[in-house]
Amino acid sequence: MLNRRDFLKLVGVGGAGAAAGFALGEKSKNPSAELIPYLVPPEDIIPGVANWYTSVCAQCSAGCGIIVRVMEGRAKKIEGNPLHPINKGKLCARGQASLQALYNPDRIKNPLKRKGERGKGEFQEITWEQGIAMLSENLSSLRNNKRETEKLYLLTSSIRGHLNSFLENFIKAYGSSNYLQYELFQHENLLLANNIAFGQDTLPYYDIENTKFLLSLGADFLNTWVSPVNYSQGYGHMRQGRPGIRGKVVQIEPRLSLTGANADEWVPIKPGTEGLLALGMAYAILEQGYYKGRDAQEWKNILNKYHPKDVAVLTEVDERRIRALAKEFAVNKPSLAIGGENVASYENGASQLIAVNILNHLAGNIGKNGGVISNPKGASLSNRRGAIKKITAFAKDASNGKIKTLILYNANPVFTTPKTMKIEDAINNIPFIVSLSGSMDESTAMADLILPTHTPLEDWGDDFAEPSVGYSIATVMQPAVSPVFNTRNAGDIFIDVAEKIGGAIKKEVPWNSFDAFLKDSWKKIYDKNKGIVIQETTFDEFWDNLLAKGWWRLPDISSLKPGHISTKGINVYLQKEPSKFDGDDKNYPFYLCLYPHSGYLDGRGANLPWLQEMPDPMTSVVWGVWVEMNPKTAQGMGIKNGDMVSVESPYGNINIPAYLYPGIRPDTVSIPIGQGHRLYGRYAADRGVNPIEILPFKVDPRSGAIPLNSTRVKITARRDAPGNMVKMEGSTREFGRKIVETVTPDEFSKMGMEG
Amino acid sequence: MGKFLDKILERFKIYRIPGYYEKYDHKWTMVIDLDRCNGCEACVVACNAENNVPVVGKEECGNKRTLNWIRIERYVEGEYPNVKVKFIPIMCQHCGKAPCETACPVYATYHNQDGLNVQVYNRCVGTFTCATYCPYDVRRFNWFTYKRDEPLNQQLNPDVTVREMGVMEKCTFCIQRIRAAKDRAKDENRSIRDGEVQPACVQSCPTGAMTFGDMNDPDSKVFKLAKSQRKYKLLEELNADPSVIYLKRVMKDGSSATHEE
Ligand code: SF4
Ligand code: SF4
Ligand code: SF4
Repeated sequence: MLNRRDFLKLVGVGGAGAAAGFALGEKSKNPSAELIPYLVPPEDIIPGVANWYTSVCAQCSAGCGIIVRVMEGRAKKIEGNPLHPINKGKLCARGQASLQALYNPDRIKNPLKRKGERGKGEFQEITWEQGIAMLSENLSSLRNNKRETEKLYLLTSSIRGHLNSFLENFIKAYGSSNYLQYELFQHENLLLANNIAFGQDTLPYYDIENTKFLLSLGADFLNTWVSPVNYSQGYGHMRQGRPGIRGKVVQIEPRLSLTGANADEWVPIKPGTEGLLALGMAYAILEQGYYKGRDAQEWKNILNKYHPKDVAVLTEVDERRIRALAKEFAVNKPSLAIGGENVASYENGASQLIAVNILNHLAGNIGKNGGVISNPKGASLSNRRGAIKKITAFAKDASNGKIKTLILYNANPVFTTPKTMKIEDAINNIPFIVSLSGSMDESTAMADLILPTHTPLEDWGDDFAEPSVGYSIATVMQPAVSPVFNTRNAGDIFIDVAEKIGGAIKKEVPWNSFDAFLKDSWKKIYDKNKGIVIQETTFDEFWDNLLAKGWWRLPDISSLKPGHISTKGINVYLQKEPSKFDGDDKNYPFYLCLYPHSGYLDGRGANLPWLQEMPDPMTSVVWGVWVEMNPKTAQGMGIKNGDMVSVESPYGNINIPAYLYPGIRPDTVSIPIGQGHRLYGRYAADRGVNPIEILPFKVDPRSGAIPLNSTRVKITARRDAPGNMVKMEGSTREFGRKIVETVTPDEFSKMGMEG
Repeated sequence: MGKFLDKILERFKIYRIPGYYEKYDHKWTMVIDLDRCNGCEACVVACNAENNVPVVGKEECGNKRTLNWIRIERYVEGEYPNVKVKFIPIMCQHCGKAPCETACPVYATYHNQDGLNVQVYNRCVGTFTCATYCPYDVRRFNWFTYKRDEPLNQQLNPDVTVREMGVMEKCTFCIQRIRAAKDRAKDENRSIRDGEVQPACVQSCPTGAMTFGDMNDPDSKVFKLAKSQRKYKLLEELNADPSVIYLKRVMKDGSSATHEE
């Protein structure tokens, strides 16, 4: 059997003499907080020798497996778990930087009780006993006196795995059905589009690695989209991992993203018409007879409204180019089309993504290697569908006094919802707010009681990645170090509260600690699969191996067939016209395109100094935010690189320095999301603006997605204010110095196997 | 003056001895495939984490005093809509004929028996000469002693020196990892395996753009990759003989414009 030691040897990271004593199943009690290392060395600490612990990265929802290098009880470095099927040993910049979330000086170090007026940020430190008592008393009174249990709301970030089922249990036992999850990027529209097209409410595995022709409609898959490390690995392989074969990438988007910068061709399409282009290509494929299905004629009838000639006018992509792309897409097998955040973020994002599915269907890419591969249902074991839609209902309920107590866990809706949604005012109506959070973010600052939680590197948990890689996997999170501050596991907080409230709730949550619950849940999985897919003869052995390896392949609960799109009824879901935008084009001449920043994502990474000082890959800007404008457009308005401009939508305006970027349409401006925190610690606070603030309050009624790209803006120069933008680039031109040398695809194919 | 010049020439002579490079115990080499690299900067953050590279803050960034040992250069050629963007990671090239080494008055930077260009922090007196001689602009100077806000200091890697004001620093090819691999191999009475040494940047790179290994080992991956017809070295005409080999990006119309905008 693979033990921890062998695992370390296998991945080549174990120190030669490492007696990697390994506190199996128990919290590794090492003393970085209370004791001085070396004085009382616990068994798994040998001075100067590193231990590596497996865990899971929580900087985005990809669910990459990690290993953490620990010396003398302190975490030194994070690397990808080489055995993990999602990231195979690799990590992105955000994953690398997550060490600084653990050792962040601005973490909340003790339980806090509000002192001054709400939202003013004045708190006083209290003990855990006092904190738990406050919460328990509140929940007891809500329950005993008035039976108002439904007035308890729990709002968390998107969590998968057993913590999710634990919280579900607790909330149900308490008598409330109001447990919701909210995050800015939850791929609601992609799920909806897949459900409508294939009847599969899942995210598939995109086999970029083995494709020959990749058509990406606004998917920044090398940077932030869905599972960037997995896709980047696939990309590397697709380009140079197959001797003699080099996959081609075409990127279709109004603003050249990092992924676009790596593509072979960039199609700067008119914003909001991407789905129409896909349908136009689909029609061209049918017209050329590349689709051989029996329902070809039916498809043709449905799609004849999308003749490339008409689509060309709407999309501003030449008809010949549409036809050429269609041909390349149909002829180069396997090909793959993906529709990303940029497209999902239009008001009709789901219909546009359905068009992408149709394209894959007609080219025969579904269920093929190098195409779209279904993920089994099991992959989404603990994911909460539909919870997202409730964020608007939540805001309404809060304003109407329907919420008496709100428990937040790692959620920051104040930062990630448009100002017009007035979520801050709504939340302010709630009599009692508790935040379980590691840091003082904008939402936590509104709390009456703050119970600080562990960061992932100190915590127990697990994760069921979605999307997975064609089969379901679970990744275990174990503490690599003992808590740096006086924090707790979120589940433990609820267990303590249940203990205090007692009665039926205590009965539903009978565990002494969350890790006991976690182990129990895994014991159930073990019992069910023992002798079938599990060979270990005892649970302890299984658990040890699981922690050593870091992940486990789940037997699929139901395997899904490759989806087939039927022509029946699909018509109503097709994109009929370009997306609608708020703001008339006379007063607001520019499309506003928002995108997640490489480092900060939805804002969560902004408190990590490594990410603040990491030059943005496309602009090289550090410690700030900017609006990208086409140089010609800017010139016409007398705006120079770095000048302060005002970006105004019908719903508000922000001041922000301009970055002149030739990779953007003249009628579009673009801003990264993630900066503009008012709070969130010294590294994040007061750095520029949050562009989400000037968006309208709109929610897709079917999916619950907030359309980030459905607004027009006007730009005015602000000569009165300094830009204050710091970028690391020198000249962006090579001046013929041949620094990055290139060969053309033709030259490359002549090189043959030696290329 | 004459004597000084003689001394420099004397030092250069060793590079003319035939077979000099074969004398290295190892010849550590990095191959970077620009057709894989996507410019994501994971390598940059990985290097910062591994090598105790300090964060300098916005103002010092503005003064161009960041300390990153590896950077991604980005070139944007052409005008909308025919824009071409190219990325290239650049770190110390560990030149076989390193211009910086001939410059240091106190021998703080020298060539070791593995073909590495090493920097001895304790010797460095901060004349800045090496940085001005380096054609690749990879040497970074500690203008200040940078403090980490506690408890961020708990993350510091004990295998890597924390540098102070007045000292020059740069990429070491993660020499501490080479050291660890050597020790391990010695303990197990064997030679280092290909792929056993993974510098932090190489280890993290999601696209697999970077490969590290021993050029003296004809079975190594780098040895094989270096045979690619796409290989080139940065500013090769300067004859500094870098240990970093780049593989050309495949790209239509990617040739760099010889004229300015
Ligand atoms: S993609 Fe990056 S942030 Fe997301 S889980 Fe993987 S390493 Fe972490
Ligand atoms: S991590 Fe790899 S792909 Fe990313 S910039 Fe560095 S070399 Fe390029
Ligand atoms: S080899 Fe090591 S020191 Fe050099 S750039 Fe890579 S990570 Fe940094």
